[in-house]
Amino acid sequence: MDEDFRTRLKIEKTKISKETSDGKSNKSNFFGNAFKLSTELVSAVLVGTILGFILDQWFDTKPWFIIIFFILGAVTGIINVIRVAKKLQNSNNED
Amino acid sequence: MAANPMSQFNVYKIGPEIKIGGIDLSFTNSSLFMLVSLVLISIFLTLSTNKKSIVPGKLQLMSELFYNFIAKMISDTAGSKAKPYFAFIFSLFIFVLFCNMVGMIPYSFTVTSHIIITMLLALVIFIGVTIIGFIKHGFGYLKLFVPSGVPVVLLPLIVVIEIISYLSRPVSLSVRLFANMMAGHTMMKVFGGFVVSLGILGGWLPLSFSVALTGLEILVAFLQAYVFAILTCIYLNDALNLHH
Repeated sequence: MDEDFRTRLKIEKTKISKETSDGKSNKSNFFGNAFKLSTELVSAVLVGTILGFILDQWFDTKPWFIIIFFILGAVTGIINVIRVAKKLQNSNNED
Repeated sequence: MAANPMSQFNVYKIGPEIKIGGIDLSFTNSSLFMLVSLVLISIFLTLSTNKKSIVPGKLQLMSELFYNFIAKMISDTAGSKAKPYFAFIFSLFIFVLFCNMVGMIPYSFTVTSHIIITMLLALVIFIGVTIIGFIKHGFGYLKLFVPSGVPVVLLPLIVVIEIISYLSRPVSLSVRLFANMMAGHTMMKVFGGFVVSLGILGGWLPLSFSVALTGLEILVAFLQAYVFAILTCIYLNDALNLHH
């Protein structure tokens, strides 16, 4: 009984060391990435606009920075979504 | 029952008003349900781990499942370097999970349906991860904002975009959890209202919807806690293993 337990422990331990040395399997990221897509776009635009607003108040250049950073925020949002989508595609191809 | 579907999100004071240095620190129903979740977590984890038998019972099996789940998630997404942060991510996951689940009990209050709570959690993660990144890599951590192989002409634009992208992390993290919880609970309340207003003749359809929605909401409650924890792991991975 004791012997049996020890061999099983050994097998599990090698499994664990294999898993950690292999590094990342992206499969479990799937849900994370899927939920990421939805809010990524909006939040980047929001952050860009807020940054523009703050910069405008600093330099007293009212509408300019807010316009520029709104557009930059939109660009960032789209880039983020493309990145997540690419990651999803790669992890799909690996399987 | 209140007819307004948004009235379930009201925060009201319980007991006397406490003010320290102009900051309102009164005990509210939100704090009460946070405490309830914490007590439930403590009871669950203490009861399930006090026996420590080799063949686990039901409760022990549950907590071991949670443990393995988080441990595997961390090693999958952030590698073995992230092992020291297990305690933080486990607490984060189990706190969000229990807050969401306690919110599913009728007449209770969903703590995570308020953006201030999720924003605070996300900011703690964001600031913590940034500090870890700077400790591990020094100023080399700033390379995160400069992707390799970008033409010099485009560099200023790309850096600004990367900074906005980095700053949008806590926003997207907090808004996702908050929006999902609030939208789900509002929807359940609206369908509950339909049941009452359509009466015994027409109320069966929204009632069946309500039952389905309850199942969906329990799934969402678990999934959002999972997503919150896994995104923390992903951000931690960026800070620990810099690869841009």
